[in-house]
Amino acid sequence: MKKSESGAAKPYYQIVREVLASNVAQGNLPAGTRLLTSAVADRLGVSRPPVKRALELLAQDGVVTALSSQGYVVGQGALAQAPGRTNLHRLTLDLPEELGSSLGQASWERIFEAVEADVMNCIPFGTFQISEASIGDYFDVSRTVVRDVLSRMDARGLIAKDRSSHWIAGPFGARMLDEAHEVRRLIEPSALAAAMAYLDQKAALAARASLNAALTQAGAMSQASVDRIEADLHIECLRPLRNKRLAQAVRLSQISLVINRLFGTYIGVHDETDMLREHALVLDHMLLGDSEGALVAMRHHLDADHARARARLKVLSVFDAPEISPYLTRVH
Amino acid sequence: MAPRTKLRVIGRSEVLPKPVLEAAARDLDFDIEFELIDSVKGLQRVVTRPDTFDVYHQWHTVDLVWTARAIQAIDLRRIHNGAQIKGKALARQGDVRAIGSVFDQLFRQPSGLLGATPSDEVVMLPLLHGVDAFGYLPSALKEWPEGTPNSWGWLLDPRLQGRVAIMSDPVLGMIEAALAVEAAEGVSFADVGNLSIEEIDLVVDILLHKKKIGHFKTIWGNYQDAARSMQRGAVLQSMFSPAIAVLRRQGIPVICAVPQEGYRGWHVDLCISSAAQGEQLDAAYAYLNWWMNGKGGAIVARQGYYFVLPDLVRPHLSAAEWDYWYAGKPAETTLTDPTGAAAIAPGEVREGGSYFERMSRVRVWNAFMDEHSYLVRRWREFLEG
Repeated sequence: MKKSESGAAKPYYQIVREVLASNVAQGNLPAGTRLLTSAVADRLGVSRPPVKRALELLAQDGVVTALSSQGYVVGQGALAQAPGRTNLHRLTLDLPEELGSSLGQASWERIFEAVEADVMNCIPFGTFQISEASIGDYFDVSRTVVRDVLSRMDARGLIAKDRSSHWIAGPFGARMLDEAHEVRRLIEPSALAAAMAYLDQKAALAARASLNAALTQAGAMSQASVDRIEADLHIECLRPLRNKRLAQAVRLSQISLVINRLFGTYIGVHDETDMLREHALVLDHMLLGDSEGALVAMRHHLDADHARARARLKVLSVFDAPEISPYLTRVH
Repeated sequence: MAPRTKLRVIGRSEVLPKPVLEAAARDLDFDIEFELIDSVKGLQRVVTRPDTFDVYHQWHTVDLVWTARAIQAIDLRRIHNGAQIKGKALARQGDVRAIGSVFDQLFRQPSGLLGATPSDEVVMLPLLHGVDAFGYLPSALKEWPEGTPNSWGWLLDPRLQGRVAIMSDPVLGMIEAALAVEAAEGVSFADVGNLSIEEIDLVVDILLHKKKIGHFKTIWGNYQDAARSMQRGAVLQSMFSPAIAVLRRQGIPVICAVPQEGYRGWHVDLCISSAAQGEQLDAAYAYLNWWMNGKGGAIVARQGYYFVLPDLVRPHLSAAEWDYWYAGKPAETTLTDPTGAAAIAPGEVREGGSYFERMSRVRVWNAFMDEHSYLVRRWREFLEG
């Protein structure tokens, strides 16, 4: 089964297994270091079951050896003979930042965004049934975690149960886009104005420069550069926002970004001059420290972009979904 | 010698009957490859692969195709009688008012959007239009007191249980079903051509119930299926006018309804691929200009279609043909369909009257609704129910 990029959330124990194996290989965890499940879990800031499974697998790989008494020890044979009690917190371990952050998340959080993205990439094309069991297999998580994820998506209005109690997603129609836009135009401009107090001037100047480059460049842009430009304004500029509740609400209302990306990917990137000029207008106000102006310019941009997304959604609606995750089945 | 140019044209089978294909091939000095695609696959191809066609006969999808920039603007100055098209849009009176939908989204505006303000650039060359309603056999009329006006509500009338057919196309089928629900249930929709989610639910729930109690005899796919449906016992059903021609040729006395609620209007137009350039583009313009000589419009007039500039068609029709098809007068002689077979007996009068009378009675135009995905979901539920 081929996993989509968005489904890159690896099983928990695999992440732990890789982190431990690479730290052993680099010498951060010297041979002879005793590894107790609870101590490793505490050091990595994760729960015990994945650590237990990771250690079992590492023992099969010969990276660690099981002790008759308790736990494991790094290395094999003679090297593993004299396990020393080491305070793992005193060891400098190489924990990749992105792994570290994902390790700190609750189980549902690691796959929520992946499932959300997979669902959003399908529903503009129709209606899909979600299989709880297949999500569990696909992400290698328990039913409890799957139910947690799905009920959270339900609460956010992304999926619903039908009369026979199946989870159903979509279709994503003009009404849903309109509703998301109505919320978005109320909150994103103010969120942007609030975030301006913490504006990263250098990053904003760079974003403005890349808009200029895109505006003067001949020929169509790539979808990747469109994505970057959208992220500059709609994600990066909002990142410093202190009110996380507001930030979350904004993110949930930014559905047209998905529609525009699907359109660009499957139909083609066309003349984006209007979008670029609207972004430039917002950024210019921001760079001048004019939060009122930025707010108005942002609202104009969101309204104009909504009209574009609506027309694009109509085009998408005549197609079948090009890529469907294995846990989704088209019903209509 | 350079290979001969080959123009690739995509359209529906109704719009491009064989005599039209043959006449175009005869008159133009390049090869033409016609691809007749009756399903949504034609639209999908056009939107995603502009490089695989040069000309597309669009119907009610020009906004989608333009959003996808699968077509390029057409320079009216390169079109024979292009000034007349612009003139019609400027005048906006008489028959042009009746086919307003054709002109509402026709001209490319400086913003790149489509609009009604005339310019020299159109996104489609207006070509053919007409009205559709249901058709019925005289025997069906026994169910109502004499003189009862035709109504879309008849499609759902319990008196015809098991003898009604409708079409499977979700876009057109939903519009006709909505007209029927309005008439039969006494409700009124804000815009039959753009129903809301709740309105779609209302219509489909009624259709599903009717299907379950055996109201519909068949649900047909294209005009040939429609003709077969009536041969096999449907007495009242959705219709495309070429099916009327087929049935009459076989001696089945089918009547086109003139619903008191008005017709479902449609138009078919010509678009040029955004990928066409050089010789392909020249050939595309030549094909468009071939249509503007009125010959093709005269051929399809014999299956009931109207041409955007009727005066261009007139020289290619006999006086009797013009009088019957456009003027709404009784047929003076036996008239033939596009294939040359006798279809209209002397003395017959076209239902609904003249060109202007018929086009003035359009209640709703074919259109992709904003809630198309939802509509398709519920419509499939109905087809599978």
